Amino acid sequence: MEDLTTRYNYDEFTPEKVFHWLSFAESPALGEPAPDFPLWHLDGTETNLSQIWKAHTYTIVEFGSFT
Amino acid sequence: MNALAEQFADQNVGSIFLYTHEAHPGEIYPHLTSMTQKLNHAQALRDILNVTRPILVDSLDGACHRAYGTMPNMTWIFNRAGMPIYKSNWTGTKSVENAIQYFLDVSVRRKNQERLAPFQVERLDYRTQDADAFEAGLARNGPKAVREYATAFED
Repeated sequence: MEDLTTRYNYDEFTPEKVFHWLSFAESPALGEPAPDFPLWHLDGTETNLSQIWKAHTYTIVEFGSFT
Repeated sequence: MNALAEQFADQNVGSIFLYTHEAHPGEIYPHLTSMTQKLNHAQALRDILNVTRPILVDSLDGACHRAYGTMPNMTWIFNRAGMPIYKSNWTGTKSVENAIQYFLDVSVRRKNQERLAPFQVERLDYRTQDADAFEAGLARNGPKAVREYATAFED
């Protein structure tokens, strides 16, 4: 059994390796405190999501990659 | 989304792009195995896709991405108190623009001392489908990405 990091960073796009990750229906609720996580700037310095959302009245976060 | 960020920047609306993992790993941009590689991919994405918003990178195991639903291109809006007030399982620029305009109006209504109570709404929004851009993205990642996408959805 591969570890979590390896499974999350799957090496090929197949329904078996990809689709079980898609869990938007179980994602955090609107209007409730959101979970916080460490994140990194491109220069490798660490921040976290809460620092980002505290910086503005509203903050738009788009998740994505090359595709 | 870059233009949208610029449009609302002077109204105290922040906007970031959060790099997650390669949804369609290929020979050129393969699956991630280290944080250094992940930072390099994110820098390349910024330069190639001309992302003008600040880019942040999730942990290698995708802790943030997984907690928020692991969709390839979702958008969330947070208020300053750390509550999500909008979430969409795909990114549609017009949907996000519509939501931000609504929330900015909520701020005005609050300033005018209107008594407000939150409620939840579900709505089916529509995003532009750009098949050419998507296919170009697969090709950018490498022939393997193109091949695997075709195989995954063939009958």
